[in-house]
Amino acid sequence: MALLETDRVWKKFGGVTAVQDIALSIEKGEILGMIGPNGSGKTSFINLLSGIYRPDKGKITFIEEDITGLPAHLITKKGIARTFQNLRVFPNISVLDNLLIGRHCKVNNSLANIYLNPFLSRKREKEAEDRVIELLDWVHLADRRKELAKNLPYGEQRLLEICRALASEPQLVLLDEPCAGMNPVEMDTLAAFLKNLRDRGTTLFIIEHNMRFIMSIAERIVVLDAGTKFREGSPVQIQNDKEVQRIYLGEEEEA
Amino acid sequence: MLRIKKNRLLLYAGLLACVIVLPFIVRDPYFIGMVNFIIIYSILCLGLNLILGYTGLLSLGHAAFYGIGAYATAILMTKHGFSFLPSLIVSGLLALFFGFLLGLPTRKVRGDYFCLLTIAFGEIFRLVTQAWINFTGGAMGIVGIPIPEVLGWKIQTEIDFYFLGLGLLGFTYGTLHLLTESKFGRAFVAIREDELAASVMGINTPMYKILTFSIGSLYAGIAGSYLAVYQTTVTPSNFRLEESCLMIIMVIVGGMGNLAATFVGVSVMAVAIEFFRPVPEYRLLIIGLIMILVLLFRPQGLLGAAAFKD
Amino acid sequence: MFIDVLIVGIMVGAIYTLVTIGYSMVYGMLKLMNFAHGDVYIFGTLLCYTLLAQAHLPPLLGILIAALAGGILASMVEFFAYRRLRAAQHRMISMITALGAAYVIQNASELRWGSQVLPFPSLFPSQLVTVLGHQISVTPIITLAIAVFFIVAFNLFLNHHKMGKAILCVSQDIPTSSLMGIPINRIISMVYFLGGMMGVVGGILYSASYNAISLGMGFRGTIVAFTAAVIGGIGSMSGTLIGGMILGISENIISVYVSSSYRDSIMFLVLIVILLIKPTGIMGKVEQDKL
Repeated sequence: MALLETDRVWKKFGGVTAVQDIALSIEKGEILGMIGPNGSGKTSFINLLSGIYRPDKGKITFIEEDITGLPAHLITKKGIARTFQNLRVFPNISVLDNLLIGRHCKVNNSLANIYLNPFLSRKREKEAEDRVIELLDWVHLADRRKELAKNLPYGEQRLLEICRALASEPQLVLLDEPCAGMNPVEMDTLAAFLKNLRDRGTTLFIIEHNMRFIMSIAERIVVLDAGTKFREGSPVQIQNDKEVQRIYLGEEEEA
Repeated sequence: MLRIKKNRLLLYAGLLACVIVLPFIVRDPYFIGMVNFIIIYSILCLGLNLILGYTGLLSLGHAAFYGIGAYATAILMTKHGFSFLPSLIVSGLLALFFGFLLGLPTRKVRGDYFCLLTIAFGEIFRLVTQAWINFTGGAMGIVGIPIPEVLGWKIQTEIDFYFLGLGLLGFTYGTLHLLTESKFGRAFVAIREDELAASVMGINTPMYKILTFSIGSLYAGIAGSYLAVYQTTVTPSNFRLEESCLMIIMVIVGGMGNLAATFVGVSVMAVAIEFFRPVPEYRLLIIGLIMILVLLFRPQGLLGAAAFKD
Repeated sequence: MFIDVLIVGIMVGAIYTLVTIGYSMVYGMLKLMNFAHGDVYIFGTLLCYTLLAQAHLPPLLGILIAALAGGILASMVEFFAYRRLRAAQHRMISMITALGAAYVIQNASELRWGSQVLPFPSLFPSQLVTVLGHQISVTPIITLAIAVFFIVAFNLFLNHHKMGKAILCVSQDIPTSSLMGIPINRIISMVYFLGGMMGVVGGILYSASYNAISLGMGFRGTIVAFTAAVIGGIGSMSGTLIGGMILGISENIISVYVSSSYRDSIMFLVLIVILLIKPTGIMGKVEQDKL
């Protein structure tokens, strides 16, 4: 079943067409990878999916509901979370608070609650904290929950960002270059973690440059070139595709 | 665990006792007057800290809401015979309403430009109060605001005002504390730190910015109402841009993003102002220098959030 | 007579443009709202008053010294108060610092000159000239000509002189300019210096026209600068010109035909309206941030 579908979406910036006529579907329970040379529109595409950009043309559906043009915060409420290419954890806030912010839309405390029913609101806060600490336990960061995010080593900050995305219990997580800057050991840990995540029922959409990584965990791969969907297929197919290799000419490949 | 909670409760009880007993130990009305000054500014700056310290919005128009509250109470009590409590409530709600209005443009108007908007708002308020003589008394303002009465208690002496102020301050701090410790507080901070990431967390950033303005301004209105009955007069010169700047520097010196630190900031600046009272011609210079030095060398203030450290 | 009002309006517009250039360049380059701008150039104007009216220096010399002093003060403020904060994470910090600097300068000026209105001497003899059957005062025309001269000269400097072009580069992209070998700090100091100088010249022209200078004009001067910059569009010379002109002409017309006591309120209302409708101003590009 298609969890998310884009139907011929376009995005232009002034004279530059960043995303051109892309029709894509992400199946429930899969790990879909997206690769493409620099500037091919991958980040713009993920920005479209997460509601940071509105498509100029086209439609986006999520669980058969039209979410085209919805603002980012509503899209997250619908069940799509994301991470950023250049790591946007809140550096001066504790690990725990980072995750609690990520869980924002699931903490059911209105203003009325807070003032008129402080015991209930305290209880809900505690629930949220417990759930979030579970997540931290999973990645072995629970004992460092009071530390400021910026004091964590880089690899763990990346993990933190993913956990923060997971805190809202999304059905679909969009990851923008999750292993940028990681060493091979960290990458393998991340790959295992993501596969585990998928096995637990979360659908993943991953943009990555690192071929070894993406080929090892994605079930299907989409190749973007100059804003258009260039190819789609299994990792083996894509890897052996001469045309794909051609558009990457001049770029370093780690196959 | 329970022992820590008990210790904390004892600490708060002790503080409360000290605060209640204070005016009976130190009977100097001048001292109490200064404490009242600290109380008013604490109420103002707690609200401003929510807007500036927690949410990261630079508002240079906070004094306008102070003024709206003050004028509302002054006009209601002198010209329409309202008693204090209803006036207080109207003042707060009116300030909240205008805060809401000022918060609306935050969706479209970017940070720096928004700051200009707040300056313009503040200045228009001041100019209007000066020009609309029939309603606001113009440059002379409104005088003869009657003695407030709360449930039979006539509030006349410095000590009376001290307890009234304490009540209002308690309300302010209590409600803001609950707010900032909740998901709302976290959302405000997220907006300050990285608005884009905050929106992706499911936070409706435009709505939260409007909320922070509305709530922050509510308390300014309350402080204004208190000022009106405390000073028995209200003039436009109480609400100049300079006042807004003074509040900003109090929030900064205490610590942005830390409610409790606001008391420290207000007290430190109050003492500093007292100290320089004999040389009023240097007042702005000193305020300006403090602003620059604090921001250059210790932008997080005395107790502020780590986010503002260099 | 309307033609008088119009000429004076254009003159004021040109002066406002002169005064806004420095502010607009700083904001366009560094995204810093220099709240101290007005107080700096009014300081220079006050200094000029002392030099001309009290020390009786020849006008050209007095103006030159005052302009240099204004420029130096502006770059000193940058050096001491702003420079270190350029990389601050929260930009509002620099804005608050700028306010602090404004207060320091304002207070210092007040200590020296007090807050009353001082009689600034006229620079040009008041003569009437008959043009197309109307009698017009010559002073605003000369003042306008001088203001325009400086605006044009500065524009030429920006586009044709080596340092001017360097300034334009830095305005667009600091890291790249730095990599190209442009000394960033020096260029920034120069921008403040030139902006301050031109501000002083503008202030002097204004005060000479109205024969008045007072401390209060500092705050007002800053407001004029950022209102004109917002109206016309930050960071573009043509924007500054348009903004200055619109502000100057409309202000003058309203002041004469409607009421002068509401002059400031009108300016703020215009500011608010523009901020709400198109904060990037008339010439400014609508920024669509590509993330």
